[in-house]
Amino acid sequence: MTILKKIPKKFVFPIFLLISVGCGLIAYLFYISRATSYLSDDPKACVNCHIMTPYYQSWQHSSHGRVTNCNDCHVPHNNVISKYAFKAKDGLYHAAVFTLDMQPQVIRPRKESYEVIMNNCIRCHSDLNTSMVNTGKINYTHTLAGDGKACWECHTEVPHTKNININSSPSAIVPLPPSPVPDWLMRLTEKQKEKENNKIN
Amino acid sequence: MATRKRKPVWGWILFIVVLGVVFCLGLLAASITQRRAEIATLYANKKVDINGIEARNEIWGENYPREYETWKETAKMDFRSKHMGNQEEDILASRPNMVVLWAGYLFSQDYKAPRGHMYAIEDNRNTLRTGTPSSPQDGPQPATCWTCKSPDVPRMMKELGVENFYKTKWGALGNQIVNPIGCADCHDPKTMGLVITRPALVEAFQRQGKDIRQASTQEMRSLVCAQCHVEYYFKGDGKYLTLPWDKGMSMEAMEEYYDESNFSDFTHALSKAPIIKAQHPDYEIASMGIHGQKGVSCADCHMPYKTEGAIKVSDHHLMSPLQNVANTCQTCHRDSEANLKQYVYDRQDKILETRDRVEKELVKAHVMAKYAWEHGATENQMKSSLKLIRQAQWRWDFGVASHGASFHAPVETQRILSHSLDKSLLAQIEIQRVLTSIGIKEEVPMPDLSTKAKAQSYIGLDMPVLEAKKKNWIETVVPVWVKTARDKKRLVSK
Repeated sequence: MTILKKIPKKFVFPIFLLISVGCGLIAYLFYISRATSYLSDDPKACVNCHIMTPYYQSWQHSSHGRVTNCNDCHVPHNNVISKYAFKAKDGLYHAAVFTLDMQPQVIRPRKESYEVIMNNCIRCHSDLNTSMVNTGKINYTHTLAGDGKACWECHTEVPHTKNININSSPSAIVPLPPSPVPDWLMRLTEKQKEKENNKIN
Repeated sequence: MATRKRKPVWGWILFIVVLGVVFCLGLLAASITQRRAEIATLYANKKVDINGIEARNEIWGENYPREYETWKETAKMDFRSKHMGNQEEDILASRPNMVVLWAGYLFSQDYKAPRGHMYAIEDNRNTLRTGTPSSPQDGPQPATCWTCKSPDVPRMMKELGVENFYKTKWGALGNQIVNPIGCADCHDPKTMGLVITRPALVEAFQRQGKDIRQASTQEMRSLVCAQCHVEYYFKGDGKYLTLPWDKGMSMEAMEEYYDESNFSDFTHALSKAPIIKAQHPDYEIASMGIHGQKGVSCADCHMPYKTEGAIKVSDHHLMSPLQNVANTCQTCHRDSEANLKQYVYDRQDKILETRDRVEKELVKAHVMAKYAWEHGATENQMKSSLKLIRQAQWRWDFGVASHGASFHAPVETQRILSHSLDKSLLAQIEIQRVLTSIGIKEEVPMPDLSTKAKAQSYIGLDMPVLEAKKKNWIETVVPVWVKTARDKKRLVSK
């Protein structure tokens, strides 16, 4: 509080102004980045970034497309806290890379991600992998030590297929987010355009 | 006062820090907005701008070459599985009993196994069932028969109004409906999302209190097919295309719907039974089978993924999944191609076994009824037999008219056909009772139905005349239609 007291009176107004502009911008960021959608498990949230389109489409066309969503495989499910912590970490990393246009041509999971994914394979397929075959009795750490193989080393096409570069499905039909411009504004600007066109003609 | 005067530096620091933060936030917002705007360019970076209803598939092909090229492959006629394929096959020639089952209806003249979507217009023009209309007012068919053949249909519906479209004669729109089933039938030109372009499906959903706009992407991957691959009928004198789903989508529910309005497609020429002609309830039957129940869509098996270089594309060459087991069945089922095909054939074989029995007994029921009429049976005496024949024939047609019913829902199809066999035999017993009561002791003589020609002459069709008339019509009228369409730029000239 002492700092605030030290602010000369003539600065109070411009600083307030700047802070409210800042708050407005933060609200705009929330809106334009569809921040709240990231709290859900809906795969639509993942195609907020259009570079995820091929991954969405290959998942949707696969056998996993009917029974899983992105989070079932890509975030941990041991407890809620680690689920959201991992999601937040992954998500912020994605957001940063995407915003700065630094994405690679072929997206691969991060190191920590591999373990999460394999644990999730085991989580759903545990019956099959413990009673019929022994693959579920190891975890990802074992595979790093050379004791067995990770699931995807054999199931190479599950579920995103082998062909996963970010340009692999240019005309895919996925639920990309609609235009951020609200309908009423769109109509208004379209009317304006029409008027101008009419004038020209 | 002196100390305060020396401190404005704090104000300046805070001002500059906040200014910097706001500036960076602005940059971030601009960057996110820019990346969001890329979505628009995904759609906007097209060679041609498609506005309104564009029926010419070639124009879409400019923007979506991969989808377009695979769609063109529906012209192929190179595949035959054990039972069906993509070739035009004269079903009446291989199954002459069907001629008798449809006596009194145009299907008895001509019924062929369908070819790919590319032939929709050509085959519709060429079939004897559309007749030889000599003027825009001439029949026999209404424009309703075009409904499923072309993306020109939504264009004309918009121009004429839906009701007027159906009221028009088929021949009147011959130079308008010229492009075969294609892009605009299922796609929105702006977003390329899936859309419903045929009113009948939307109306059927509405009457059931459902909103088709709420359908998920996965459901839409079947519903766009359900615009045409469903059971339907032409309602009333306006020939308004209607799906009989008000009471449900099962065979019994649709029959109840038809019975309630006393509907029949035709009166059988031999037995005089009022017959409902089943169209092709593919969507209904598919949703009664295990694949449908587990949410597998039509496109999952009939339009699987395909890879060209580094590009993945949904294969628009619609065809039997048996032609491409590796990309269809095997994406879910880990089994050999030979085994998977065998599972399909096993189901088909067993159901077709029942179908063959049904057709034999159902034909016999019709012939027996004809014999009873000829020997003085009265309407009152025949009433219950005719009802049984109507039920038997509806069940038979429902089971066989659909493409792939015996695979899509084997248990349901077998159930329906077994009921048909049951009703056919009950009808025979009933007619026999009538025959006995009017004093006929001898067995009803059965005609020779070993070939299509014999069957058609038995029901009184003069095929050479009909065929010659059609051939002449195809050579004289169709070229005029095509020329007009080309001149008016409804067709892309090659």
